[in-house]
Amino acid sequence: MRKKFRIFRALLRIRFQNLMMFRLGFWGPFFVDGSLFLVQLMVFDAIYANVERIGSWGRGEMILYIGTFSLINAVNMIVYFFGVNGITEKIKSGEMDLYLTKPVSPLFRLTFERMNPGSVPLFFFSVGILAYGARTAGIQVSAAKVCAYCFFLGIMILLYYCMEVLIRSVAFYLVSNARMEQLEEAGLELCMNLPGIAFYGIYKLIFYCILPYGIMATLPVQSLMGELTPVRAVYGIALVCVFAGLTSLVWKNGIRRYNSASS
Amino acid sequence: MRIAVIRKYKEIGRLYMKAQLAWRADVVFGILFTVSKIVFAYLLWGIIFRERGEVAGFTFHSMLSYYLISSFLSQLELSSGISGEISARIRDGTFSRYMVLPVNIEGYFTAMEAGVMLFYVIFELIAAFSWIVIFRIRFVLASGALMIAGGLAMAGLGMFFMVQLNFFLGILTLKYEEISTFLMIKDNLIALVSGSIVPLALFPDTVTGILKCLPFYYVRYLPSMLLTGRCGEELVRGIVLLGLWCIGMQVMISLVWRKYRKKYDGVGI
Repeated sequence: MRKKFRIFRALLRIRFQNLMMFRLGFWGPFFVDGSLFLVQLMVFDAIYANVERIGSWGRGEMILYIGTFSLINAVNMIVYFFGVNGITEKIKSGEMDLYLTKPVSPLFRLTFERMNPGSVPLFFFSVGILAYGARTAGIQVSAAKVCAYCFFLGIMILLYYCMEVLIRSVAFYLVSNARMEQLEEAGLELCMNLPGIAFYGIYKLIFYCILPYGIMATLPVQSLMGELTPVRAVYGIALVCVFAGLTSLVWKNGIRRYNSASS
Repeated sequence: MRIAVIRKYKEIGRLYMKAQLAWRADVVFGILFTVSKIVFAYLLWGIIFRERGEVAGFTFHSMLSYYLISSFLSQLELSSGISGEISARIRDGTFSRYMVLPVNIEGYFTAMEAGVMLFYVIFELIAAFSWIVIFRIRFVLASGALMIAGGLAMAGLGMFFMVQLNFFLGILTLKYEEISTFLMIKDNLIALVSGSIVPLALFPDTVTGILKCLPFYYVRYLPSMLLTGRCGEELVRGIVLLGLWCIGMQVMISLVWRKYRKKYDGVGI
């Protein structure tokens, strides 16, 4: 564990030095994703100017939803997105060899080697949205609710990470996983704009079980509002365990199948 | 002379139309994923219209018709790749491949966009028809020929404006060197102000008033409204305003190109 922490620190230092060379691009992810969630806030503000509720959710709940998705995305951008996103290319080009020969877990290094401190303001921006949402929704915030929210937020960040690794690990088995990444993009775009409460029937099956982006921000928000039923909470935890196990299996088998640049 | 010039651009368009055939899977999946926009509208507005019959003058089916047309237009409008292509080429020093061509570079990109669009239009129509059947949408289309013709003309002019805008942004790389972050922010903002995410009629009058001064209002939102039989009174003003924006953009392109073209040295940044 101590060794991994030392490696983590070294990776962070190297990344900082690298980012400082391109100072203009340093804040890029913050501005891009910040504008995306700002647009989303404006969209739902326009909708709520015409309707009182979307399903059982009012304006405050929707702001909380946007803030939660923004927070999950912020952690993703700060910690692992840029590293994990390169997995496909590294498998295709054979660059994965360099990771396999190092005395550290390849996935650990890939996850943390391209952290992006430039996205840190996005984290605070998201917390700001959450505070605004909680006030608008008139939620009585208690320590228990905050703990439940943080717990579900944490496991949903893990779920997001698993989904990203899983989709990119397909490159170990197929010549191209471009369609999978397209599917991920489409699913994420849809679920960023649409809370889980809007899904029913086949859509619920897809976005709650197969591409579970539909529950990512929904469960933490429901836990904060006290709307989360025990069944749904257990379902959320079980789903994260299933996807974590599946990701580990696919990754480990993929590494075994990996034949350098000819993969 | 003029016929020879037209023939050159026609050939470029035809070349890019044929080139799309090399990426058949991309075309099919790209079209299939357009369903995500329709699913978004269907679920979001489905849950809203369960409790009410009308929102901002839209019924459930007229709202879905709006999204269908707006999504159709946005799928055909593929010009955002132009700014990325120009920017990347200038940065790595390979923009010379366009400069040595015996055609106007902006004309080249316009012909390219037209060729790609003509290729996609048939597939997008098939996709749109499929979504109408699958989602059982009672499609609302303008009844008057003038409205339909006006909507289509405005959509065409809007696409031309977007080509101009993306060309303009691309050549700004000659001065600012790195514009990729700005291009991504631009895409996010245009999705909002062009009415691709929600109809602009949902915004307060003051906001809509401001948006009417911008060209993006006439690029996707107004053509979609016209084709669903609304806002007919804005047709003439819209075409005139968008035409003026196109002229203004052309002047800007000429100025920027003339001023910064000499900065390009063909060796990359």
